[in-house]
Amino acid sequence: MIRLPHSSAHPASSRNRNLALLVLLPALLAAILSYVALNHLLPSDQWWQSFRATDLTDPNQLIFRYSALPRLFIAPLVGAALGLTGTILQQVLRNPLAEPTTVGTNAGASLAIVIATLYAPWMLETGREWVALAGGTVTTAIVFMLAKGRSFSPVTMIIAGLIISLTCSSASSLLMALNREYSEELFIWQSGSLVQNGGDAIFKLLPWVVGGLLASFALLRPLLLLELDDESTQSLGSRPTLVRLSSMFIAVVLSTMVVASVGVISFIALAAPAVVRMCGARTLRQRLTWAPLAGASLLWLTDRLVQMAPFPSEVPTGTATALFGAPLLLLLLIKLRPAAITARPSHVSVRTVNTRLRLGMMLGLLILVLVVVFMFGRSAGGWYWLQPSDVSNLLDLRGPRTLTALGTGMMLALAGTLMQRMTGNAMAAPEVLGVSGGATVGVLAVMLLTSGVNRSLTFTAAAAGALATLFMLLFFGRQKRFSADRQLLAGVCIATISSSIAAVFIAGGDQRIDFLLAWMSGSTYHASPMDAVVAIITAVLLLAIIPLTARWLDILPLGGSSARALGVNLPLAHVILMLLAAIPAGIATLLIGPLSFVGLMAPHLARFLGFQRAIPQLFASAVIGGLILVSADWMGRTLIFPWQIPAGLLAAFAGGPYFMVLMLKDRR
Amino acid sequence: MFLWRRTEADGFHEVSLVIRSVSARGISAGITRRVCLGGMAFAWLAGNASRAQTGTPERIACLEWTSAEMAISLGLVPLCLCDLRGYEDWVVAPDLASSILDLGSRSEPNLEMLRDLQPHLITGAYGYGLEESDFKRFAPTFNVPFYDGTMAPYAQAQKETRRLGAILGRSAEAEALVFRVENTVAHVREQMGNRATRPLCIVSMFDDRHVRVYGAGSLFQDILSKLGLTNAWTKETNTWGFSSVGIEELVSIGDATLISLDPIPKHVKIRIDQSTLWNNLPCVRNGKVITIPAVWPFGGLAAAERFASLLAMT
Repeated sequence: MIRLPHSSAHPASSRNRNLALLVLLPALLAAILSYVALNHLLPSDQWWQSFRATDLTDPNQLIFRYSALPRLFIAPLVGAALGLTGTILQQVLRNPLAEPTTVGTNAGASLAIVIATLYAPWMLETGREWVALAGGTVTTAIVFMLAKGRSFSPVTMIIAGLIISLTCSSASSLLMALNREYSEELFIWQSGSLVQNGGDAIFKLLPWVVGGLLASFALLRPLLLLELDDESTQSLGSRPTLVRLSSMFIAVVLSTMVVASVGVISFIALAAPAVVRMCGARTLRQRLTWAPLAGASLLWLTDRLVQMAPFPSEVPTGTATALFGAPLLLLLLIKLRPAAITARPSHVSVRTVNTRLRLGMMLGLLILVLVVVFMFGRSAGGWYWLQPSDVSNLLDLRGPRTLTALGTGMMLALAGTLMQRMTGNAMAAPEVLGVSGGATVGVLAVMLLTSGVNRSLTFTAAAAGALATLFMLLFFGRQKRFSADRQLLAGVCIATISSSIAAVFIAGGDQRIDFLLAWMSGSTYHASPMDAVVAIITAVLLLAIIPLTARWLDILPLGGSSARALGVNLPLAHVILMLLAAIPAGIATLLIGPLSFVGLMAPHLARFLGFQRAIPQLFASAVIGGLILVSADWMGRTLIFPWQIPAGLLAAFAGGPYFMVLMLKDRR
Repeated sequence: MFLWRRTEADGFHEVSLVIRSVSARGISAGITRRVCLGGMAFAWLAGNASRAQTGTPERIACLEWTSAEMAISLGLVPLCLCDLRGYEDWVVAPDLASSILDLGSRSEPNLEMLRDLQPHLITGAYGYGLEESDFKRFAPTFNVPFYDGTMAPYAQAQKETRRLGAILGRSAEAEALVFRVENTVAHVREQMGNRATRPLCIVSMFDDRHVRVYGAGSLFQDILSKLGLTNAWTKETNTWGFSSVGIEELVSIGDATLISLDPIPKHVKIRIDQSTLWNNLPCVRNGKVITIPAVWPFGGLAAAERFASLLAMT
């Protein structure tokens, strides 16, 4: 299945040689390993005969024909599909972070499969493809509708995709948490296992990959024109919207077919195009040729190595791709030329509002909400208001949860605001910074190495993970002038690593899944009075310190050159702001898990409400962040009583659609 | 729905529950939270009185299925249990009394409800992410330390059943249960001894590409050993006594008899039945796949007994 790169027939060019090496080395290694393994299973002289007429009574032939051989082919096929998908998306969105996850396709396909598995399993009797395609198409279409008003500006699209991904994946996690034992199939599928049962998956996937390749080469020229801005493209007689729609559709079909046939294989769609670009594939034609090949050979090798791993349980390939791929990309980041992301100022209309009055009103609302969530609740007997005399009875149960939610909401909002202002990138958020991801890796490491759950050890591990990430980010930053884009890319790598370690853990069938799912979706369930005190104090301290950086925060969004011209010491500003963002993000992760929604949303909402300048935006988003998490926590405690929904999950689930409505309104 | 459940409860339960069900309707009847709390205080006093009489906990709250299974098989009806629906699908036996209330998910039992219910004892199990100390403020706790790596599950189940029996003042019942299960197992061994015994392989199937195989360190392994049966799966397992592998690995068990635990989702069953690989596995090919009803793999003595009896019926 691996197509050897005959297009590398001109080794004179060092660029092509690099690319050929990139593809051939892993492929060669994988081929040798595959040969050895297959030969061990069945002597090579019997291969052809066994393929033609399998002797089903011979277990070795059976495995060769229906398990080993299909797996040998599916790995490069999926890799090629993902490499192609990533290339198309990155071209269309003009963003090196684009992959099927960024535009909401994977999350939509996954949610559709989750719903079908849990509530309408009859739909899956013929296969998952159509369910996945339907889900992926719907979410991608929503992203399109949201981005349409801004003529598909890459930043808008990425934000819309991120919102819908968060919403869908929180809905998926919620459904799986509520149907824990029934979700075993989903846990396995989600982790991206390439174990094959017959050749069905290949025959289903192959036509789509071939079709996708042909179609994208047919779209080569119009796709190239997308590199210009839309007016120039139109003046050249192309229709940018149509080109985007059709090429995105190719990407959607390919990625949903992969999701349906083997689950989510993370990172290849992001890494393959990035790697070939770094090895010198400059033109779109080169990237369309080399990225699928690189994806194929990398996934092939990964899958081969995974099969040699000496663990009692299978290591899903999708997990391993992230484990192998993410550090590789981190290393290659050093070579990435800065300014790869075109940071565009977002078109938020500047409204003049009385920010003080408005902030006062919001504070009033926050206090009102705090009183309501504390006094109004639900018991086995129904809804009730707490009598003042009974307050002490529930203080130790409701107090820490509410206050921790408040404090962490504020911290995440502040971290998000800082990061968005610092990078000028609207999708910056604590989770993207990688600090939450680092903390998660720490927690998972403890869970993998010990049995049971030790809260203080978990806490220490999370802190260590967050700090290590922070240190690494700072170190990378010092290597070559601080590039915000590179920070983001590094952060995404870490976030991906952590989520895939989580996936392998979950797929392993460990009984601590419940704890992990609850922690990762942002539950305040375990909040202690000490947690609440820490959360509130940190939030207040931050609110006191951050205004000192107001000048930087007002200038930095204008871009690096303007900032330098205005006399800002950029590296210093970045290090200080990075610390100010990473510390609260780390503490919030320690307290209630790697929440990702609030830090992204609150700053946006503050801007939509008219808080444009740094200081008002910071205060407003802190209040909004607190409001979101406090309300989410209350709803999580009461809506499906006696069951509970983690606050972070609910915030993402409820806040996503709200944010989309806001985006639509803003468009008019 | 929970009102029904409550009226079927017994003893002093009934008293408190009637009051509580009134207060449940009480929003329309103008009965306040305070009255409700008053009712609960009464119930609590009643509970204490009954505890004072017997000196043992009777109102127990179960945070997960294994300890619930142990308590119920000692003849006690818990007040509440986490994830009732899951218990009914995956643990099945012993039966749940209809008075038992749902306490939420196993990872996040509802604390406000737990406090309202005034339990005398809270039971849980090792490994669900809950800290025993978090629950001490509500009532004394009993924790089943299964799969902590210190003991084989079956012996540990016997030990823990006796320990719970002592706490509940039901040591006689506990001894009887231990004895009964030993008896059942011995009986099944006798029954099966007549048949030619080939190795068995116990699996759960969750999708059409993977199986979870139970091996060393699992409760099932202990029972198989006691029955004098050979487990065909001898490869390494995780701390919970199983490993998740691709179905092609089942070739390594040769033509052992495959015991597959229910429930298997219907769409998975369809795809498995169509699979050439599956249908030609030596164990499947010779028609030796036996499906048995659900047994909780991480359960205690009741699960062990259920498993042995189900094997006897095959």
